[in-house]
Amino acid sequence: MVCSHCGIKDANVHYKQIQGGKITELHLCTECAKELGYIKENESLFNFGSILGDFLSAPGKVSANASSYRCPVCSTTLDKVSRTGFLGCDRCYEIFAPTVEKMLSKIQPSTNHKGKLSGADGKRIERDNTVRDLKEELKRAIIDENYEQAAVLRDKIREYESKGDEQNG
Amino acid sequence: MAKWFCDANAGDDVVISTRIRLARNLKGIPFPGAMTQKDALLVIEKVEHALEEMNYTFTRLDMSKTSPAQKQKLVEERLISPAFAKSTLPCAAYISEDECISIMVNEEDHIRIQCIYAGYESKKAYELISKVDDYFAEKLDYAMHEKYGYLTSCLTNVGTGMRISYMVHLPSIVMTGASDSIFSTVGKMGVTVRGMYGEGTKSSGNIFQISNQTTLGRSEVEIADSLNETLEKVIEKERELRTKLSQKQGAILEDRIFRSLAILKSARVISGKETLERISDVRLGVGIGLIDGVEYSKLNNIMIISSPAHIAFDYGEEDPSSRDIKRAQIIRDALN
Repeated sequence: MVCSHCGIKDANVHYKQIQGGKITELHLCTECAKELGYIKENESLFNFGSILGDFLSAPGKVSANASSYRCPVCSTTLDKVSRTGFLGCDRCYEIFAPTVEKMLSKIQPSTNHKGKLSGADGKRIERDNTVRDLKEELKRAIIDENYEQAAVLRDKIREYESKGDEQNG
Repeated sequence: MAKWFCDANAGDDVVISTRIRLARNLKGIPFPGAMTQKDALLVIEKVEHALEEMNYTFTRLDMSKTSPAQKQKLVEERLISPAFAKSTLPCAAYISEDECISIMVNEEDHIRIQCIYAGYESKKAYELISKVDDYFAEKLDYAMHEKYGYLTSCLTNVGTGMRISYMVHLPSIVMTGASDSIFSTVGKMGVTVRGMYGEGTKSSGNIFQISNQTTLGRSEVEIADSLNETLEKVIEKERELRTKLSQKQGAILEDRIFRSLAILKSARVISGKETLERISDVRLGVGIGLIDGVEYSKLNNIMIISSPAHIAFDYGEEDPSSRDIKRAQIIRDALN
């Protein structure tokens, strides 16, 4: 897993905060964890006692850090996203992924895009999504023992996948 | 070329206009809410460059060089949003010759493409806007996500980024006091009812905007079909109540409608609010077949050219009381 703060290094500090029933998850690399104050400078990564100590003795400090957790591209904070539903840039969607998913599930009928996507990138995503939906349908058809329908769906999936191969090749 | 609201072929007794907008952003550049002036200029430059080869003529408006009256005039013609007119970022608007397409750069999202037609025209509007969108997608790097589709500043627009808004005239629903219950039923069907100029604005002259609430999880066609289904129920209800109202009130309603027409044709001083109320009566009169020879396009045109910023910009009438005199004259000239 990539560090959700810098987006470059591997995340090796995994932090979960539960406050007022709200769960915030952070996955950071050591450097970013230090920068954001989750672990102290010169502190060993495995000094859990100290982290726990900080957590227990000063919960206010830790929660302030979590809410001021920022997007490295546009500096938008997690607090702003959860308060307003506004994001600062496309990277925010990755950085604040759990919050975004939770908020979208409350305000939109589904959290999976259905519909057109233009351009080369869009066409690829559109095709992958169609295949994903068809595979779901195929699963249901098999469970329902509707083999005629399943065969039609299987052919459709093959057709889409071969179109993808042609374009990729 | 005729502006959308002057289209004489387009007419509908309930739906005044159909507007569709798509929200799009560019990859890797902060959205307008978080962008610097430099980012904003970069987005304008990219859009400008993409538009150069487009087979469509646009008028470019640099918002920093556009006067408040002209901006307000564009708001009144529904070509830009009220929020865009107030933005302090470097912004640009591109408006097609026939004014059916307008593109706002650095509104709430980097790009807001809009298509507007008089009457009930969602299919025609979607076909056109989709073409512009596809064209941009070839030239620009849109921000999109495998799961969420088009990424937008606000989570309420993610997915298709599409909002369809119908401007509807519902005098009988308002007069019979049925609006609260109808709007609340409609609200439960995923449809928003708002005032004349959209978000946060009040209704004037019995005009409302009906639009889809959600943008993610349903395709453009599904969103349009479900909104249209609700819209058609509202239209049916309005027509049914019009018949009931004219049966019940007879001469009283007829008197009200013809008085309003007479006032519009003869007044020497008239406020913007009264104009909208009188136009509403006349529009109802045309709808129930009482008034002949006044087209919906004429009423649409009067509604827009008699708006405050139009009078201020077109005739230099800044003072509200002299504007009311000018307004009466503009309406007389249009109707007599």
